[in-house]
Amino acid sequence: MGISRREFIKYAALGLAGSAALTTEVFKPLSAMGLDDDRAIVKHIPTVCEMCFWMCGAVGRVVNGRLVKLEGNPLHPKSRGRLCARGNAGMGLLYDPDRLKAPLIRTGARGENRYKKASWDEALNYVADRITKIKEKYGPEAIALFAHGSPGSYFFDLVLAMGSPNISFPSFSQCLGARNVGYELTFGEDPGSGPERVDMENSRVIAMFATHLGENMHNSQVQDFTEAVGRGAKLIVVDPRFSTAAGKADYWLQIKPGTDLALMLAWLHVLIYEKWYDEDYIKKYTEGFEELKKGVKEYTPEWAEKETEIPARLIAETARELGRYRPNVVVHPGRHYAWYGNDTQRARANALLNAVLGTWGAKGGIYLKPQVKLPSLKGKPFPETEKESVAIPDKYPFAGGEGLTNEVRRATITGDPYPIKAWLVVGTNLVKTLPNQKETLQAIKNLDLLVSIDVMPMDTTMLADVILPETTYLERHDELKKVYAKSLGIALRQPVVKPLFEVKPAWWIAKELAKRLGLEDYFPYKHLEDKLRKQAKLWNIDYDKLQRKGYHVIPNSAKPYFGPDNPPKFKTESGKINLYSKELEAYGFDPIPKYTKVEQPPQGYMRLLYGRVPMHTFTRSINNKWLWELEKENHVWINTEVARRLNIKDGEYVVLENQDGIRSNKVLAKVTERIRKDCVFLPHGFGLMSKRLSRAYLKGADDQGLITRYRIDPITGVTGMRVNFVKIVKEA
Amino acid sequence: MELTIYGTNALTYPHLHIWDWKIASYLFLGGLTGGALVMSAIANLRKKKTEPHDKACCVKVPLIAPFILLLGMFFIFLDVERKLNSFWFYLTFQPLSPMSWGAWGVGAVIPISFLYGLSTVPDELKHWLVFDFLKKWSKKLNPYMRRLAVINFIMGIFVGIYTGVLLSSFVARPLWNSALLPILFLNSALSTGAALVIIMARKNEVKLFFTKVDIWLILSEITLIALFFYGHYTSSASHRESIMPFFTLSNEFFPYWISILLLSIIFPLVIVLEFLEVKGEHSERLTGFEKFRMNLSALLVLVGGFIIRMALIYAGQLIKMTDKIATKF
Amino acid sequence: MPKYAMVIDQRRCIGCLACIVACKRENHVPEEHYRTRVVEEIDGKAPKLRMELRSELCNHCDNPPCVYNCPTGASYKDKDGTVQINRKKCVGCKACIAACPYDARYINPEHGYADKCTFCQHRLKAGKEPACVATCIGKSRVFGDLDDPSSKVSKLLREYSSWVRLPEAGTHPRVFYIRKQSRPE
Repeated sequence: MGISRREFIKYAALGLAGSAALTTEVFKPLSAMGLDDDRAIVKHIPTVCEMCFWMCGAVGRVVNGRLVKLEGNPLHPKSRGRLCARGNAGMGLLYDPDRLKAPLIRTGARGENRYKKASWDEALNYVADRITKIKEKYGPEAIALFAHGSPGSYFFDLVLAMGSPNISFPSFSQCLGARNVGYELTFGEDPGSGPERVDMENSRVIAMFATHLGENMHNSQVQDFTEAVGRGAKLIVVDPRFSTAAGKADYWLQIKPGTDLALMLAWLHVLIYEKWYDEDYIKKYTEGFEELKKGVKEYTPEWAEKETEIPARLIAETARELGRYRPNVVVHPGRHYAWYGNDTQRARANALLNAVLGTWGAKGGIYLKPQVKLPSLKGKPFPETEKESVAIPDKYPFAGGEGLTNEVRRATITGDPYPIKAWLVVGTNLVKTLPNQKETLQAIKNLDLLVSIDVMPMDTTMLADVILPETTYLERHDELKKVYAKSLGIALRQPVVKPLFEVKPAWWIAKELAKRLGLEDYFPYKHLEDKLRKQAKLWNIDYDKLQRKGYHVIPNSAKPYFGPDNPPKFKTESGKINLYSKELEAYGFDPIPKYTKVEQPPQGYMRLLYGRVPMHTFTRSINNKWLWELEKENHVWINTEVARRLNIKDGEYVVLENQDGIRSNKVLAKVTERIRKDCVFLPHGFGLMSKRLSRAYLKGADDQGLITRYRIDPITGVTGMRVNFVKIVKEA
Repeated sequence: MELTIYGTNALTYPHLHIWDWKIASYLFLGGLTGGALVMSAIANLRKKKTEPHDKACCVKVPLIAPFILLLGMFFIFLDVERKLNSFWFYLTFQPLSPMSWGAWGVGAVIPISFLYGLSTVPDELKHWLVFDFLKKWSKKLNPYMRRLAVINFIMGIFVGIYTGVLLSSFVARPLWNSALLPILFLNSALSTGAALVIIMARKNEVKLFFTKVDIWLILSEITLIALFFYGHYTSSASHRESIMPFFTLSNEFFPYWISILLLSIIFPLVIVLEFLEVKGEHSERLTGFEKFRMNLSALLVLVGGFIIRMALIYAGQLIKMTDKIATKF
Repeated sequence: MPKYAMVIDQRRCIGCLACIVACKRENHVPEEHYRTRVVEEIDGKAPKLRMELRSELCNHCDNPPCVYNCPTGASYKDKDGTVQINRKKCVGCKACIAACPYDARYINPEHGYADKCTFCQHRLKAGKEPACVATCIGKSRVFGDLDDPSSKVSKLLREYSSWVRLPEAGTHPRVFYIRKQSRPE
């Protein structure tokens, strides 16, 4: 049968190493797939993954127009030919029957899940009409944007073009805002995000604070990490939980939650008072060392033992390990910082450790950002906004970045300083992202218009007045992506398959809305690809080649380390590392981090910790067939002894009740030695409330539902969410 | 130890469950056929060659034996996942696969035992055969009855033992992985075969003879079962663990310990009942009560044989060969 | 003919499950069925805990009980040393599943044939590594030719002490494991 069968193979060669072998690969998988079609057209199309926000380079194998496999693009530094479980499962999103298929306009009450199908014209006109009315009545700043991921950028432009400054991405306030500010205050620069510029592959000692690499699957970062583990780098993992990373560690410091700062300060104490630093380096490149020395004087390991419940001996020993191998060591900056409302100071302490160890720009430390500047396309300048953004209010002097989602929400509820009446929500499930769902729902109640642009009918989507179904990342173009790895590179996202159903790419939706709002000038292209070609030309990149390869490295852009030809220079005002922060001092904050105690759980309660599982990205992948089957619902981790006391067996359903009496959905107990007695751990993203998610609906418990309290970090305004306590109720 | 596994198949996790009552029934019916062929051959061969036509004394059992086996085969057919592909059994012979041996063996036993059955039918009973051509065949085969009986004796042993060989060949399944298992299966096959003859036989002397045979078979079966468990207990950790379901008094293992309990009631009871039969003086005609007692003891043997197959098939899938001792026991 | 083998460097496994999904998509493994799995074992009492991550798959044994027990010859040892299944010949008797000490097989729910890891033979023929190896984030799965002394697998097996699963089963697996034996603190 193999002989008589005619197969015509049209092959979009990648031109990659080994692609000659790729061409011969076609016959077998086809028969393995049981495709009876005489003519199989196989294409390999490079694109950029967006199963999470690491955005690796991927290559789709498309047979007769159907995507059958995704693999990592070997040219892309974030994937290096490899994809994680989620990246591999991309077609589970693409071909999910629960996807949003056509524009929907709400007919029932909010949350009632009653919608009518609309044509794009009808839906867009409806939205444009409502926005115009809101603009007329309340001013353009009454329109706010919440976004996450690639599709956000077009709406970013759209909202700015409307004249509203109210744009916020949860990535700042609910994730890494505090970290970036802490590092900027110290080094004048953040440590990078996607990828964090941590040179783990060359590190001799790596210390991580609640950085769950392996469970947190940031592809290249995890590759670097395993490279370090494989090489035998010393690994110090600080975590109340025996995470996968802790399972690889030489030192697992089972810290009491909320006391990380104490450990960091004690490490600083040991490093400074035992002189594990390079005096010359400190003198030449830092400012405020004496103040720092004085500041950490009281924070001895013995003192820290009482706070952290880690033996002083281990605290000193691990600090010395770091000191011994400096500067080829790194204290990983971590990512999610929205913990306790004192997070900027913790970030500062983390940065100070790297400063004292001299890791910035050192091999095995934090490598330097590629310094090449790429010119940007000139577009029509956005109008000056009349009012201050509520997302970046003055009361939080260091708020910035992607804005404070929680402040926009607050303003929407209170109308202070001015009313916010419309939300555009793009690719983010706010109900599951922001702490205290009650407030989110209350804010939504105050809205005149909630537009959701999303791929899946998520919880927040199904509260919207108008739902505009977006293409998945496999069906669309997006802006060229700059990748700041050791070299600067440009990655192209292009459609691997034609859009299914009646969905449209985000750029088209934004552009069409702009057209209806008279703002078309801000989208000066017919098809986004026109813009991409122009941009590529500007950057001296062969677009056609980029289409074939998916990735382009900007030549000579790598300068990862300081050295004789590249002497240390920092992006602070003085060009030196700010051990002592005058900026913080100017606003009345501690210029050297001081330890502050966090509230401890009352009797009978445990702290609620949340985190990730390797096969899911927040709420968005739970319904994905190929990932869902690996983790259908989450497990709450309960310490063995606690479970014995409460008579809870492994694998049985329990309910969590928080300090405010809010109860979770039922959730499976994982009774384990791997977590401390004073806390429980609940993977984030489960317990979805949208009935249209046939697999994910009400599976597992929603951590965000239990996070009814949050603390605001006074420096940046970000939310601290690990301040909730739960008790375990056996299911009736 | 805390164990988390991603990517398990329901067929093998948390434990194997590929075979169920259908296979157990086949094992039982196959064994029964084998035993019936052996016992009927004995019955027919031990008769002195006095009568002119060398008439068989055991007719019904050989006649129904192939149909019992066919019923068993039907259960196998129900179990096989690709029924339409079953012909592949007969397009190849795999010398290392007991199942291939079994497929060919059973394929041969069915027609040969059928011929044997025909050969045993004496003239006065030819009307049982309904069709003329069968009657004709029977007549032609009558002279070969003894030779066919010898062949069927051997084939009966084969059918009785190969299922045990098949299960014992799985290194991965410690409960089955014992050289005693084929012997135990054969023994059980013979005892059930004898029991079938006891129930079916009309003549008292036949009934009494096989009751005597059965006593010895049951005694050796009890010994074999005890040795089987002892052998496992003193073998590798996986082997020891694999018999624990039979000796663990918990809800989870109810079917297993109850089956051991039943067997330890049934078999001694059978021995007592059968002893009562052979010990007493019998008149020419058995009383109704005596017949009832005999048939009851034989029926109990059949039940015991079925319990053994069921218990072993299910329990054998519970525990697999492992380098980690489960914390279950 | 090459002598294919896989070495799993357990130290480098990070439990991300990319192998599982890549395998399933490459080989169109039906929902809720798997050809490879990841086992996570935790031993000890906090804070002295040990974690072992172990990805498991068909061992492509040199002495394969599944092949011996197959009544139709559907399971066979191929020339390249991999154990393969000829689906046409499979009757679905499940003897191979019972025979496998590694629980590597399942029955395809739609078509009824026994199925398992093929070492991605179709990819090998095209000069590519198996899908799980190609995507392995930690480079924990390493694939190559045992007969080639310069292959990655040969090097690893020379350099490290390795083990195989259930050696007492006498199957002579072609999947080798390397693990860290102890942890000081």
